[in-house]
Amino acid sequence: MRKKVMITLLSLSAIFLIFTIASAEKVFRPSTELPKSLSVSDDSPRLVLITQELKTSFWGDVATGAERMAQDKGAQLEVWGSYGSNSDEFLKKLELAIHSKMDGIIVQGLDTEEFSELTKVKASFYGIPIITIANDVPKQESLRKTYVGSDQFKAGKLLAEDLVESMDYKGEIIILSDEESHYYQRQRIEGMMEVFDTEPLITVTNSRTSRSKEQVVAATQDFLNKSPNAQSIVAVNANHLNAMLQEISRRTQLEPYHIYSFDDGSDAFSLLQQGKIDALVKQSPIEMGEKSVELMMNWLSNETGSLDTNGYITDIELVKRADGS
Amino acid sequence: MKTIQQKIWTLVAIVLSVMIAIWLTLTYYNQKTQDQYNDILQRYLEMNEVTNASQLVITNLNTFLIDPSIDNESKLSGSTKAVLKAQKSVTQLRNEENDFILTSYLNLIDSFVETVERSVSYQNAGDADSSVAQFSEANRISNYISEMTLSIIDSELKSYESFYRDIIIKSDELKQLGIWLLLLMTTILLILAYLFSLSITRPIHQLRTAADELSKGRFDLPIKVDSNDEVSFLAKTFDNMRVSINRLFDESQLKAQLEMELQENKLLLQESQLRILQSQINPHFLFNTLNTLSKKAYLEGSEETSDLLVSVAGLFRYNLKRMDRPVTLFEEVIVLKQYMEIQKARFPDRLYFHTEVDESCLHFEMPGLTLQPLIENAVIHAIEPQEDGGNIWFRIVDSENAIRIEIEDSGGGMSEDKRQQLLKGVIMPENGHSTGIGFNNVMKRLALFYNSETIVSIDSEEGNGTKIILELPKTRGIGDAGETIDRR
Repeated sequence: MRKKVMITLLSLSAIFLIFTIASAEKVFRPSTELPKSLSVSDDSPRLVLITQELKTSFWGDVATGAERMAQDKGAQLEVWGSYGSNSDEFLKKLELAIHSKMDGIIVQGLDTEEFSELTKVKASFYGIPIITIANDVPKQESLRKTYVGSDQFKAGKLLAEDLVESMDYKGEIIILSDEESHYYQRQRIEGMMEVFDTEPLITVTNSRTSRSKEQVVAATQDFLNKSPNAQSIVAVNANHLNAMLQEISRRTQLEPYHIYSFDDGSDAFSLLQQGKIDALVKQSPIEMGEKSVELMMNWLSNETGSLDTNGYITDIELVKRADGS
Repeated sequence: MKTIQQKIWTLVAIVLSVMIAIWLTLTYYNQKTQDQYNDILQRYLEMNEVTNASQLVITNLNTFLIDPSIDNESKLSGSTKAVLKAQKSVTQLRNEENDFILTSYLNLIDSFVETVERSVSYQNAGDADSSVAQFSEANRISNYISEMTLSIIDSELKSYESFYRDIIIKSDELKQLGIWLLLLMTTILLILAYLFSLSITRPIHQLRTAADELSKGRFDLPIKVDSNDEVSFLAKTFDNMRVSINRLFDESQLKAQLEMELQENKLLLQESQLRILQSQINPHFLFNTLNTLSKKAYLEGSEETSDLLVSVAGLFRYNLKRMDRPVTLFEEVIVLKQYMEIQKARFPDRLYFHTEVDESCLHFEMPGLTLQPLIENAVIHAIEPQEDGGNIWFRIVDSENAIRIEIEDSGGGMSEDKRQQLLKGVIMPENGHSTGIGFNNVMKRLALFYNSETIVSIDSEEGNGTKIILELPKTRGIGDAGETIDRR
């Protein structure tokens, strides 16, 4: 009896000991490391990349390129911006960046007065260099250091040339663009018009819309009604593509249309891959990101003296639908 | 030696120190967690302080712009200082993850303060429009500050998230640890208490068992107690007592035995004397008669008869007087020979008596009337029943430490059973002994006289005669029973 009691107690205590040790190990194992506190700030240049369209594949690539280059050059870079071309938010970020006394701001150009005000007055008040990227603004209005991105005029021309060829140099073209006249869209349209104007059999209809989906749908209905014979549509703002295509396919078929656009929209590439659109002007977002950071760093370290205010042009190419039709 | 008190204190000390150790560990651990909590909370409070201070600045600036008094200006500069102070404390919060945003934040505060100062200086310079413009800008920046505060706190929450979760998980695990620890301590305490109580009760139990044995009268079992405390001391004392009692007991027992032996001896003597008295019908008359008969036979010329009668008379006299004191072997041999004379007269043709006596041994003392009863036995068992008669040999041999006396007959012998019974004294003497003294009596007297049980031995085989051997030691033993009793 005594022995039994003793053995039971001993085995119980052994079991409890094992559990206690296991539990104690869990409790006393070192906890997650807190971020190390720094007494001195990293004094490498603080750059910020600000865009209106965060998280689109185009701007994602730009950010990737910029971050890669920032790492190479030893700069701190953050990507700020707004979603879905929210220009108020975008401008707020820009102002915040200026008030936060960034060492350099790389920003998607926006052809508005507020933007000019911020870049011209405030940024220069704080002495912050600004480089526009992908979308330029008129240089005399913004006091930007330089521009990195595609030559939008050339891009428009490239697109128009191909479109005219695939239309056999005749027919009606609808150009869908934003209501607010953005500098880069103007340039694209100018580029296109230069081609179209030389073709006597080509007629062009300009259609304008604002950002909202309803507006795009309304504009699409409008031009479909007004120009039932149009063969081709050029969406100058790739962000309009989706709503427009939905509306067209609701009414008729996409096939007969030549639909051309640019790659700086949220889903331009996937639409091309699905065969819903016929061609895209493909720009070089990664190169833009890299180049812009590189130029900014050069400016900050004063290597090249001054930057070419005309801008640094990156490559463009026209990508057509895989089946070539 | 440990006392029971010491044992109790040791147990209590062990339990207490374990408890304290556990308590200290847990408290330390809790304190550490608490500190971390406080640190984190402090960060949030400090950041929030910036927001509050900047908003206060805006309020004060607004008041100042409306009413540019010195009082309001000093209020404003006080609140501006508060912002700078808050900014300074926020500087301490820099870590790997928030480096970038924190720098922006600090710069933003700088911009804010600068803007406020510009607004004040425009106001002082009388440029109200610019002052208001700067005020609205300061207000905007103040909003940015609150937003950024929120976003920093947000990112802090993100970077500390795993840490918070860890804390939550660990507090759960701590609870479990507490339960396990409680169970473990309970069982260990039970074991300790059990062992401890056993160490006290077992010796007491052993002591009780020992006491039981003693009370039953078993004094020979040593008292053993496995302990090193007071109980063992008690047990030792108890054991000493047992040993003392045991010794006393043994002594009294020995005394009682001695007394009993003495008593027995007396009884034996009385018995033999009684027998003699019974056979002693007026011995003087018998002597006188025998002497008269002897003289008459001599006068009548029958010398042989006369000698025989002298022998008988001598035998009787010897019988009467030699019971209570040692005699010499010589006297015994004389009586023996006289007795044999008489027997020869009884069995002239049948009794052949041979003696071999070492004369040097005859002066040794021995109890009286020992040889005659033995030889009488030999006559009774070896001669009387045989028509052809028989031989009886009587030898006294000196064998170093002892005198060896052999009485051998050529009679029918006896069985092994009978021999054993004879040696044990179970067989009662038969009638027909001249003295009434049997083998048994002789044996016992010899044993008492020499204080040894191995004096007499019997060598016999059925049909082959009997040989009785007495080994009389030359030096006598301690017991000298023969001389203690006087004859009346």
